[in-house]
Amino acid sequence: MTHLSLKNVSKHFGDFTAVNDFNLDVNKGEFVSFLGPSGCGKTTTLRMIAGFEIPSTGQITINGADITNKAPSQRNVGMVFQSYALFPNMTVAQNIGFGLRIRKEKEADVVDRVKEMLAIINLEKKADSYPYQLSGGQMQRVALGRALAIRPEVLLLDEPLSALDAKIRIALRAEIRGIQQKLGITAIYVTHDQEEALSLSDRIVVMREGEMDQVGTPFQIYNFPTTVFVANFVGTLNNASAEVVDPAKSIIAIDGIQFESAVDLKERKKGDKVRVAIRPERFNFVSQEKKANIVDCRIENITFLGSIVRIQVMIGNSKFYMDTFNNPFLELPKIGDKDQVTCSREAVLVLDE
Amino acid sequence: MAQTALKLKGSPPVSDWKKWLGVTPFFLFAILFLVLPSLRLVMGSFTNSEGQFTFANLLQLFQEQFILDAYWLSIRISAATAIGGGIFGFLLAYSVTVGGLPKPLRSALITFSGVASNFAGVPLAFSFIATLGRTGFVTALIKNVFGINLYQQTEFDLYSFWGLSLTYMYFQFPLMVLIMAPALDGLKREWREAAENLGASTTQYWLRVALPVLLPSILGSMILLFGNAFGAYATAYALTGGRLGIITIQIGAQIRGDVLHNPGLGYAMAMGMVIIMAISLIGYSWLQKRSERWLR
Repeated sequence: MTHLSLKNVSKHFGDFTAVNDFNLDVNKGEFVSFLGPSGCGKTTTLRMIAGFEIPSTGQITINGADITNKAPSQRNVGMVFQSYALFPNMTVAQNIGFGLRIRKEKEADVVDRVKEMLAIINLEKKADSYPYQLSGGQMQRVALGRALAIRPEVLLLDEPLSALDAKIRIALRAEIRGIQQKLGITAIYVTHDQEEALSLSDRIVVMREGEMDQVGTPFQIYNFPTTVFVANFVGTLNNASAEVVDPAKSIIAIDGIQFESAVDLKERKKGDKVRVAIRPERFNFVSQEKKANIVDCRIENITFLGSIVRIQVMIGNSKFYMDTFNNPFLELPKIGDKDQVTCSREAVLVLDE
Repeated sequence: MAQTALKLKGSPPVSDWKKWLGVTPFFLFAILFLVLPSLRLVMGSFTNSEGQFTFANLLQLFQEQFILDAYWLSIRISAATAIGGGIFGFLLAYSVTVGGLPKPLRSALITFSGVASNFAGVPLAFSFIATLGRTGFVTALIKNVFGINLYQQTEFDLYSFWGLSLTYMYFQFPLMVLIMAPALDGLKREWREAAENLGASTTQYWLRVALPVLLPSILGSMILLFGNAFGAYATAYALTGGRLGIITIQIGAQIRGDVLHNPGLGYAMAMGMVIIMAISLIGYSWLQKRSERWLR
């Protein structure tokens, strides 16, 4: 059932279009991430849901009720900010209880709810601490507790982890997802970090220049990008210009080297220019595993990335990366070696040029 | 060996005395014009006219009514101008920072405040006499345009408590603007948005978040304004010619005066002033620390 809905929402700042014709239905309890580079309109869209920006056109509804022009204080939407935005003059407990006291809830109920929130965010012992006495991760948990305390219809998170270091970021994102699932709250999460979006979301909206480029599950977005932008933005992707050789058999050629794809190319003509995209992890050396596409290559470079070893190869005149899991007994080729690599038909994505 | 290698790699060690070279002029200046006069002041307050040790000067501070009146008058003028200048300056600073007035106006006001906060003493007194004195330009203008004689038909008197307070306000409110503008800039937009998001109105945001956050800065600044007015001498002397017996004028009369010449008592009165100023500065410093912790 649709809980939050954005219909034909646009936002213009003078001549500049920040968001253009944005349409999205979010179900109750769904976790949706807006993913895109800086300036793509994701935060503006979030701020329109919060009420800090009024859409130039379009409509925003929650549970069918139009909130497009409502003041932020009238929307019952919780928001977690990148910079925490905790009130520095209040303790952790006072911060969490702020929204409830503003709503003039009974003091006993406020105290109970604050305790409940402190337990959820695991900060019972810090109830009387001030924000300046907390670490970044603790502050963001308080901000989350404060936003959830008012029992919002929708929880909005604006790059909440980007100010934290890597380890805390990973731990806290799991905590956020856990709390969201436990409370069954609808959440919209803005991030430019693809790993964050892939690991947290039920669905991802990839945005570019104010428009939605692709909407889908993390699995769909990563494995079946529909545009070159999504393919490049989400994960590392090899892509090269290619030509359709045999549309019926879905065969294309990169610099004359033929690849067979699982993508149906019947609607294309022989000689059509297309773009071929293959994830680095979908390549293997022929000696390890036989697949459909076996092509000659030359080893150009080898880079260790911790658990992954990234090998740069030349196929024809095009540069490709292949990833292989690192292990101490791995026999790696040498730079300059000639070898053969292979990938499945399903690994060969064909996109518009 | 390892230590030798480290020494060779690093930059050549600076001799200890060279590190202090840059601050030497400051320390010399401070010794000559702050420490020595302060010592002289302390010693003088315990010395009678024959050069002997005495507590009489300090005891007189609490016994002589004119001294207590002088302190009280100075405190009242300083408090009035600190509160008035503080409120006026805060509203101005608010208008040009979070108030949304055009940015060029902010630059103009900050520049003016920088100049005006240092415009005090005889020039300030004369400029007020020239504008709001008995034959001042504005006094004449009001008389000619509105037919109102400020000095005969109203209670206004530039050479009175309120007249002197008005004159002090000229350098008090710009000082408040200079101190409060950065503090107001320190209010994060996200605090307002978070408050609104949690259901607060603009008034609730100001009463529960912004003002409590700013309060240490506001109070601290007002204490600074109080100290600023409390120590003023030349403006009051040039404006009132001693008609208003504020403490600085009384000290001047005791140390340099022909009639009331009693340097020992003057030094003791100055020591009382130093104590009041020190309390003010401690208060300012404590509040400023609290404010910095919240606004960082």
